[in-house]
Amino acid sequence: MNLLTQTLLIAQSAADIEFEMARLQRNFQFLCYGLIVAWLILVVYVLMMVGRERKLKREIAGLKAMLEDRQRG
Amino acid sequence: MRDKVIYGLGALAILLLARDLYLIAGFPPERAQGMIFKIIFFHVPAAITAMIGSAVALVASVLFLITRKFKYDAVAVAVTEVGLAFLAANLITGSIWGRVIWGIWWTWDARLTSALVCWLLYAGYLMLRRAIEEPTQRATFAAVFSIFAFLDVPIVIFSIKWWRTQHPQPVFWGGGTFPHDWSVVMGWNLLALMLLGATMTMIRLRQEESQRELDSLRRMAHAL
Repeated sequence: MNLLTQTLLIAQSAADIEFEMARLQRNFQFLCYGLIVAWLILVVYVLMMVGRERKLKREIAGLKAMLEDRQRG
Repeated sequence: MRDKVIYGLGALAILLLARDLYLIAGFPPERAQGMIFKIIFFHVPAAITAMIGSAVALVASVLFLITRKFKYDAVAVAVTEVGLAFLAANLITGSIWGRVIWGIWWTWDARLTSALVCWLLYAGYLMLRRAIEEPTQRATFAAVFSIFAFLDVPIVIFSIKWWRTQHPQPVFWGGGTFPHDWSVVMGWNLLALMLLGATMTMIRLRQEESQRELDSLRRMAHAL
């Protein structure tokens, strides 16, 4: 194998390694996006449920207090 | 007592999920797909959890129509809402996987389209409930709609068997190969997501009960 062929082979494999690393990086990036979005959906839903629960408790307490006031009056 | 069960289940689900994430992070990249294949550990369990949710909603809706007991209506709405969140997670993780592997975010193949239709049907179920004021009428219409919406679920599940789709063929029940240790982690993650779904459903169910209490208090306030 002459020097030129060896140089070409090295250059090609360096480019391949670079390409493969870029592919892996992109792959990993999208995996992170996927996991973040999936968990974000569930977290947002849980936060919505917490908000709804607080609102319900507040409304029930308010109505109970109002009914007690009316019954006393 | 019920609160303790809810918090216990939730804590167990989070512990299992943390453990599974640690195990999944340790798996080597798949030879053809690379790292992105790991999304399957969430994509598939999220879909199965959502499909189980729709089956529970079907049973609860049928039971409501037979017995006219509102507790079944509450179960149906709670499980549908939670299932919708899991189905959304499934659709979005699938779309991100598709962008890397196919080079496109979306394609109108039978599996993807039927899953999207399923999501839209159950979103329609929730919208229908908001549109009807009278509780008995709301529960009846919603139960009928839920039974109708469930017709799409077998189409979603079997679409990859019935038609040639861009979506991969089934791995676990179609002759695909999946290493044993990956299958074990997949099973644990499915259990974790199902526990999480059950916890969320129980919390949502408690809210439905609070909503009914609020409605009866409002009626009393009007009567006084």
